[in-house]
Amino acid sequence: MNEPLNQPPNERTNNLRLAVVGAGPGGYAAAFLAADLGIQVTLIDPEANPGGVCLYRGCIPSKALLHVAKLIEESQQAKNWGIEFPVPKIDLSRLRGWKENVVKKLTGGLGQLSKQRKVEYIQGRAAFENSNSLRITKVDAGETTLTFDRIILATGSRPAIIPALKLDSPRMMDSTEALNLEDIPGSLLVVGGGYIGLELGSVYAALGTRVTVVEMLPGLLPGADRDLVLPLHKRLEKMFEGILLNTTVASLKEDGTGIRAKFEGQSVQENNREKTFDRVLVSVGRKPNSEIPGLEKTQVQVNSRHFIEVNKQLQTADPAIYAIGDVVGEPMLAHKASHEGRVAVEAIAGHKVAFEPNAIPAVVFTDPEVAWCGLTETQAEKEKREIRVAKFPWGASGRAVTIDRPDGMTKLIVDPQTERVLGVGIVGAGAGELIAEGVLAIEMAALASDVAMTIHPHPTLSETVMESAEVFFGTSTHVFRPKRG
Amino acid sequence: MIEFKLPALGENIDQGDLVRLMVAPGATVSEGQAIMELETDKAVVEVPSSVSGTIKEVLVKEGDKIKVGQVIFTADNNGASAVDAKEAARQQEPAPPPRPEPAQRSSGTTAAAAKPQQVPAPQPESQATPRRNRSTDAPASTEFRLQELGENISEGDLVRLMIAPGAKVSEGQPVMELETDKAVVEVPSSVSGIVNEVKVKEGEKIKVGQVIFTLQGGAASVAEPARPQRQPVEHVSGQHGARLAFQAAIRAEGKTEEQALPPDQPRSAPASFSMPAQLGKVAGTEHRSPVPAAPHTRRLAREIGVDIYEVKGTGPGGRISEDDVKAHAKAALSAATMQVPARAGHFAAPKLPDFAKWGKIERVSMRGVRRKTAEHLAESWNTIPHVTQHDRADITELEQLRARFAPKAEQAGGKMTVTAIALKVCAAALKVFPQFNATIDMEKEEIIYKQYISIGVAADTDRGLLVPVIRDVDKKNIVELAVELSQLSQKARDKKITLADMEGGTFTITNLGGIGGTAFSPIVNHPEVAILGLSRSRMEPEWIGGKFEPRLILPLSLSYDHRLIDGADAARFLRWIAEAFEQPFLLSVQG
Repeated sequence: MNEPLNQPPNERTNNLRLAVVGAGPGGYAAAFLAADLGIQVTLIDPEANPGGVCLYRGCIPSKALLHVAKLIEESQQAKNWGIEFPVPKIDLSRLRGWKENVVKKLTGGLGQLSKQRKVEYIQGRAAFENSNSLRITKVDAGETTLTFDRIILATGSRPAIIPALKLDSPRMMDSTEALNLEDIPGSLLVVGGGYIGLELGSVYAALGTRVTVVEMLPGLLPGADRDLVLPLHKRLEKMFEGILLNTTVASLKEDGTGIRAKFEGQSVQENNREKTFDRVLVSVGRKPNSEIPGLEKTQVQVNSRHFIEVNKQLQTADPAIYAIGDVVGEPMLAHKASHEGRVAVEAIAGHKVAFEPNAIPAVVFTDPEVAWCGLTETQAEKEKREIRVAKFPWGASGRAVTIDRPDGMTKLIVDPQTERVLGVGIVGAGAGELIAEGVLAIEMAALASDVAMTIHPHPTLSETVMESAEVFFGTSTHVFRPKRG
Repeated sequence: MIEFKLPALGENIDQGDLVRLMVAPGATVSEGQAIMELETDKAVVEVPSSVSGTIKEVLVKEGDKIKVGQVIFTADNNGASAVDAKEAARQQEPAPPPRPEPAQRSSGTTAAAAKPQQVPAPQPESQATPRRNRSTDAPASTEFRLQELGENISEGDLVRLMIAPGAKVSEGQPVMELETDKAVVEVPSSVSGIVNEVKVKEGEKIKVGQVIFTLQGGAASVAEPARPQRQPVEHVSGQHGARLAFQAAIRAEGKTEEQALPPDQPRSAPASFSMPAQLGKVAGTEHRSPVPAAPHTRRLAREIGVDIYEVKGTGPGGRISEDDVKAHAKAALSAATMQVPARAGHFAAPKLPDFAKWGKIERVSMRGVRRKTAEHLAESWNTIPHVTQHDRADITELEQLRARFAPKAEQAGGKMTVTAIALKVCAAALKVFPQFNATIDMEKEEIIYKQYISIGVAADTDRGLLVPVIRDVDKKNIVELAVELSQLSQKARDKKITLADMEGGTFTITNLGGIGGTAFSPIVNHPEVAILGLSRSRMEPEWIGGKFEPRLILPLSLSYDHRLIDGADAARFLRWIAEAFEQPFLLSVQG
């Protein structure tokens, strides 16, 4: 979402020394841009290479596994198309090895890019001495104290834990441990029906685990529009052993055979009040890593939800210190962090910039994928904002039918006065790739007619975006739904 | 029957004055034949016909203002030649590309042509005036001085010098790059020749008027020095330009950039959970609905200090373009400029220093005549491009007449002064040169010729400068004028003069001869277009008939509005006046 900087590095940046604490997608994007602008950059992270949670323990390994999960699913579905495979044999160590290779390849590549840019990479942990100096404890022993003009905190987040469900057992997993893929448990309880729980639950389900998801709220993927979640919910109902909504886990106890979970909630009947699972994955959200040693020696302020407070330039209450990514707030998404990282560096370089996107896409990489950006129907309803929604069902998409995935839907949320596209929501195979067009449409303030009059390639799923805009005008080629009134 | 309509004449030209008509009913015209001459804002153009045939009726006449699309003549498409046939065919088709201008004639363009008629023609003054300046008063020079760079720019830093001694320069060739407050500009030479000496070097601050280089031998062709022939080329990017405009705007408000743009304050992070893509909940973002502007546009707005939410988008659905942001910044700039009271002119008075620092001062409020004079003269000076023409009149003989008739005037209660005679002379001259008795109506783009001659005479009183007007000067004899002038002057000095006595003048005379001086530049009494200044007459040796003779010489200074009056006309007018003074007999013949 950044445009290229239109000014060369100035005197201000030439002798500027910058430390970036944390080398996730926010931190390394910031460090690399700063280096490109002629700033002297030190990047500090405990891992051997940049990457952070996203590459080591998040987006990337989970997507590698989800790719495999999808292959398994499709091999089973192939029966419908006249091709039958025997039950797949899963070599867990090779699967794990492949996933680790993906991570290594990408993080190693970032290490290279870091060197090429002459970024000083220190493998270690940083603590504040004061607003301008950091004491760095290196992983390979040794300590060093360095002074900087500016410091960017990109310390990220970690899986949240519910104290009541804390159980010291090897059967308990958080997302990091779940990605380690130690075994394929017979049964798995996923606590939390958010995107992490559903993605990892899908992986295990595809590998053969009986998965039960427990969600406290009345629906999966809280925050997303219900009509987008519905096709996913339907499919997951088939994949999972159970989806318990409006339900909480009252207790977890380890017994000889597994972990015994006790449920509470409306949908809990006498026959399913208790159940034993081989493993439990707790995915109830993430917590910002704002407990940075020595932070009290600076003016940085942390709010009650443990996020570091920043302004639109990502500057903290301490003028020398900036913060970006998960540690400054929701949504905790890599692409938000990268953009913030770039904005922070531009601000440090003296440009008049602000973090002010019109849309941040959210993608859930389940099957089908769910993706949305900009205004949601849920949000519009809450704000009592007048909108018009145009939906295009994938059953009418030639491409969706050819891949036997008509279980999808593309919708536009449109301002009825200006006909401007305010939000886009997509559920279906590859929705995550399709949502980018929606983000661009919103950022460019496109009208529904702009989208409708843009020629989309046939036959592709991207046509569903165009046709949903045509639905808005009641003139969709493949859906007969005349405009009312 | 076919019609010939005035085709498009070129960009931004939608009308012209018909100065010569070359066809008449019955005449045969063929395609491409010139049929009239039109004077537009930019040039006199010959308009070729785009039709062939015999003219039936001519619907315009010389002196008419003709608009694009107006029907000029109708013709019979007789003797259908090959050309005509082709012509008839073309009438059905979209108009051919406007090559020699015979474009718009198909029926489709008729309706379209009606529209631009409403649009007023661009004002020609800005181009016409400097062009005339150049032709009339261009002094010869062998050096090149830094020319005016633009409004309010008096100096710049020399960042690059592009010439050296011995180099050949020609008019229009860039000779250096100057960095001013506003931009880096390329300064073109206004002279041609071989550079002799370069008087500046890179890094220096150079002021307007400063000598940049001299030419060898002085064999120079010189352009008008006050204004560069080519406008300096400004290297300003869109964003940079807009930023500069903004900075100028806040400077005009007397603020620093920091004051105008308070830094964003840290805001609390929102208190919500789950996975919101709702931007209102993203840390650091304000809860405002997304603005209909592309990221690049939003960044431009931030760069130049415009709140994008205040910009009105002109695109579909209120989409804000880069131009909208710039227009907003420009409007903010002019609003900031307007805030400075511009009472006595278009420009704000510069801030005064504290004079009390250097000695005792007294402040007296400027009231009445003085304030009015200040306002009126500033307005005249700002509105009218002034030029002053000087001449001298030999009034040796007139003086003898004046002395002879003085008692007669005195008898009547007046005083036979040079001013009284000048009134009569000017009235006669104004009859011969009516454009000096006119007014420009810029709004209507018309010239108002007054069919009466009333002349104001500047009077020096205790209250200040007053200008009583003598009406119908041309209908009064010199004795009558002398009497009336004496009465009005007395009335002015006695503070009995009324506003009505000072209104309605068509020309003004100001005589400083009683005090002294050899010449001066009077300011035209707007909305009049000329003023005659008289200085003290004195005996001077004149070369007459092979020897010097003592003659009484009256210096004349005529200031005029160059928008309406060309230099040559002014010279003729003043010469006429001088000769009238010299040969009073002319008055009775011509006046």
